[in-house]
Amino acid sequence: MAFYADKDYTQDQEVLEKMNQVMAGNLGLGWYDARTEKIKGRPRDLRRGLTYQDLDIGSYGYSKIPEYIRGSQSMVARGSEKVGKLPDMGYLLNRKSDVWSDNVTTLYEEAKSRRWAPAVDVPWTELDKKPLPHELEAACAQLYTFLQECALVSLDFPSRWVPLVNQDLIELKSFMCAQMLDGSRLLEAFRKRALYGGAGLGRASVSAEQGLKEWLWADTYPQGSVSINLSLAGLLLAVYRHVAAFAPSRVDRKLMGYAMQDAARQVSYGLGALRYHLQHQPAQAAAMNQYLDDTEHVILALLGSPELLEPLIIISGGGLEREQVKAGRLATAKLIRLAVREYLERLEAAGLSGRSASSRIPRVVERIEVQA
Amino acid sequence: MAYLATRNFLEDKDFVDKWLYTIRTGELDLSWMKSATEKVKPHQANPRRGLTYRDLDIGNYGFSALPEKVRDNRSYAPRGAEIPPGVPDSQPWVSRKSELWAFNTESYYEEAVSRQWNATTDIPWDRLESAELPEAIGKALSQLMTFLTEVEMIATDTPAMWLPRLNPDFIEVKAFIAAQAMDEARHTEVFRKRALTTGWGLMQASPMNEMALKHLRDADSFSEMSVALHLVAEGNVLTMFRFSEYLSPTDVDKKIFRLVMQDEARHVGYGMQHFKYVLEHFPEKREVLHAHLDEAENISFAGAAATELTESFIILAGGGLKRENIEEGIRITTIFNLKQMQEHFERLEKCGMPERKERSKLYMMYEMGRAAAEAAGIRV
Repeated sequence: MAFYADKDYTQDQEVLEKMNQVMAGNLGLGWYDARTEKIKGRPRDLRRGLTYQDLDIGSYGYSKIPEYIRGSQSMVARGSEKVGKLPDMGYLLNRKSDVWSDNVTTLYEEAKSRRWAPAVDVPWTELDKKPLPHELEAACAQLYTFLQECALVSLDFPSRWVPLVNQDLIELKSFMCAQMLDGSRLLEAFRKRALYGGAGLGRASVSAEQGLKEWLWADTYPQGSVSINLSLAGLLLAVYRHVAAFAPSRVDRKLMGYAMQDAARQVSYGLGALRYHLQHQPAQAAAMNQYLDDTEHVILALLGSPELLEPLIIISGGGLEREQVKAGRLATAKLIRLAVREYLERLEAAGLSGRSASSRIPRVVERIEVQA
Repeated sequence: MAYLATRNFLEDKDFVDKWLYTIRTGELDLSWMKSATEKVKPHQANPRRGLTYRDLDIGNYGFSALPEKVRDNRSYAPRGAEIPPGVPDSQPWVSRKSELWAFNTESYYEEAVSRQWNATTDIPWDRLESAELPEAIGKALSQLMTFLTEVEMIATDTPAMWLPRLNPDFIEVKAFIAAQAMDEARHTEVFRKRALTTGWGLMQASPMNEMALKHLRDADSFSEMSVALHLVAEGNVLTMFRFSEYLSPTDVDKKIFRLVMQDEARHVGYGMQHFKYVLEHFPEKREVLHAHLDEAENISFAGAAATELTESFIILAGGGLKRENIEEGIRITTIFNLKQMQEHFERLEKCGMPERKERSKLYMMYEMGRAAAEAAGIRV
């Protein structure tokens, strides 16, 4: 055990006496006049309900969270009165601009209102009515195997960090929990899709997993967030959009529609968090550029993985015939260029100006050509 | 850098060339098509429920086929996929099924996903406009909500902390833990929102209870964490929610407690089923769990000395601060305290630890408390 109570309370006379006093009707009421702000929050728009934005009032509001959260290492709810000896929870993320994004409360509300359930919201049995040709189903099974690896890492990332985020950043922590549910739901949906088609799972990808681990195990939250929330989710968003457009079945199209909406939220947070970070810690731009120089190769580890590339070509072209593969290559090359362009545009939009010029990725992507 | 991939893929000429060559020529390798994996065809056992994890419990993809000790997979590969050499180690701490598994894990997860509710829109907040509470009740309610806000976020942090430490083969448990984290975030949200709509704001922190919460987080193993969190703490909170619903001063509060109860019951359900599972499949762990329960029950007892909570409960239960209110409040709070302990021991017994009563100091306190209550004419 890392933590033991300071004494045996069942044998502690002071505690027993305190309890007996209260239960004898001698209430101390030390809390009754708590020195806290008295407010009555109400919904501004009844159709939207009572949002976190509605409670952004006075000392309770997230707008008032200071950049450096000092003197608050316990579980005390932001704005309540701190008394007595409170435990130190060992939070490592106590600086607002290391984690915050201005859209986090909106995204949290959106995550809740756009909930879906893979078990019932995807028309699985349509795959029974119109089974896919063998090579297409095998390609789908492989694609969804790959996507499960990515979803697992997307699930682990917020889980790793949320216990280390200061409790005062409650709206952000709530959003990270919503991300965890999003991650597990995608993992579930991709697994169900892969197995329901009848082709079984495919092969894990060495290059993708090596890269994903490098991103997941980033030293700092801002770095990890750029990798997982912005880079990985951005690439996956492009893939989901692409597969939705070339979906071999209505099941896949529907599934990708849900995946897109969840991934878009993740990207939106990732971009917002990087922007906020750089606005409040401009000196970190150089370090972030260095980090990206070191880790951008992971984008290639993912896009270059045969376990992703080849199924994408087959799905995009509709099969394995020569003309289909050619059409698939053209579409996939377009997807890769688009994904990289969007990635760089997002970094620029977040404040990493000049990234498009310094990144080595575009130079590799420029070499892509598709022979007739 | 905490981890570096075995290769820098930008500098790996063979990798880049092969990628460009595939796109340029269309000569696909397709070796993944020959993956040595099982071909299965699941079907929906109950179309109304859709395609569940239980429907996928087939062959080596299924959770039933999970071995007690997972030796084959330490990567990010999904269970049942072909795992080529060279995948990284995801560094799981828990690779033993009985350390984390619970009967019906997959059903608890499916239920969690289908029963997600929204604290923003599913509570009729507008009805509070016309619900003016007397000062004592308003403050007591706010104090209770302040305590519950404190409690719920640790119930998020604790399982979340363990999630990445679980072997990726335990997909269903990871999924359940993720859903639990979201449940607890929603509870934090709903209790905070309710406190801030009383007109009294948040009230006072509870140092005694925070110490208990730190204990929950810092367990040595997943099983011990689960026993302390899902069984002891959430079990106590479940009883508290039930009483709180009964004591709720408005219909809005009743609705809040009904909704949180359904989530909390699921967490306690998982905790009980895991406890049962670990006792049945890992009997050597029994003594370790007893020792952990000694600590958890000590801290649970300490919580009763958190007067800011007990007093607010008495006021809510009695309906005010007058003498007769306090007397009635004490009567109900005594029943609540005893009920909490009674249900705790009942759960342990149902899970296969009937001997706990003989060893537990908390049980001794319970018996003394019950005798005192009966002497005072209070029947549980």
